[in-house]
Amino acid sequence: MLKIKDLRVEIEDQEIIKGLNLEVKAGEVHAIMGPNGSGKSTLAAVLAGRDMFRVTGGKVLYNGEDLLEKSPEQRAKEGLFLGFQYPIEIPGVSMVNFLKTAVNELRKHRGQKPLSASDFLKMMREKKELVEIHSSLTNRSVNEGFSGGEKKKNEIFQMAMLEPRLAILDETDSGLDIDALRIVANGVNQLKSKETASIVITHYQRLLDYIIPDFVHVLYDGRLVKSGGKDLALLLEEKGYEWIKEEAES
Amino acid sequence: MRGAENARNFSQCDSLLLGDKCGAHTFPYIETDNSSAIVEHEATTSKIGEDQIFYCNQRGIATEDAIGLIVNGYAKEVLNKLPMEFAVEAQKLLQITLEGSVG
Repeated sequence: MLKIKDLRVEIEDQEIIKGLNLEVKAGEVHAIMGPNGSGKSTLAAVLAGRDMFRVTGGKVLYNGEDLLEKSPEQRAKEGLFLGFQYPIEIPGVSMVNFLKTAVNELRKHRGQKPLSASDFLKMMREKKELVEIHSSLTNRSVNEGFSGGEKKKNEIFQMAMLEPRLAILDETDSGLDIDALRIVANGVNQLKSKETASIVITHYQRLLDYIIPDFVHVLYDGRLVKSGGKDLALLLEEKGYEWIKEEAES
Repeated sequence: MRGAENARNFSQCDSLLLGDKCGAHTFPYIETDNSSAIVEHEATTSKIGEDQIFYCNQRGIATEDAIGLIVNGYAKEVLNKLPMEFAVEAQKLLQITLEGSVG
């Protein structure tokens, strides 16, 4: 589904990603961990198409096609979803209106007719139940005045509505209490199928108690320096990142 | 009005900037003939953020549609207070002026 080959990315002449390789197949859940400033969020933003970063080398194939050539909205329509670390507020634009526009753009891309108002509201009700979101949240403006936890839950709700093929969650778990964490994890687990894949970027092993990853990777200084199974996350929790840094530098 | 004791006013000017080649100039002018009046004026200027556009893009909404959505959201509070026929007209006008406003 996703193949990243020797990816190099810089911002303002500073290289952040320094030759990164990763392959994600359908049905897999990958966790990317790593210390602050190692390039985790940059990777997520580049995959989603944020233009403030400059790709200086390497290739990214998504379903066999060059991902980096596509506009951000094209990537989204082809099923790539980014759960934002800091979801953006859009005052005055209701969640209903925002999501209706997004869902119908997606349907247009797939050659489907736009949903009627009643079908759309029905879909919203179902998905809200799935992610245990309170109804008042969707009547408000996009992320405006939401608490940190509400914003993150709202990302998962949007993910449930858009049913992506590849979901990239950028530290969706940070700042969440244990209940919200469970809801976020539940959303990811619900989405999991043979046709979809997720990349979960996280600081803490905690989230991986709820989302069982097939692979855990450590991103350090712009490269994936270590990959393993779930045990690697436990080892990191216990021993921290120092030994990884020493290993990578020696 | 001279006879209006304890008159109360509040005027608000909010400007939303589109693109980097524009500015907003507001010249509020309030005249009172009665010294018991309380008058207020408030002005804000804001800009559509690149991160707001990117957020919409990431959900599959093209930039031009995203700007329409954001501007309509911004103006909604006022548009909602207009009589129906004006509101529809105003919304259409917004749509027209926004066409081609992004490269």
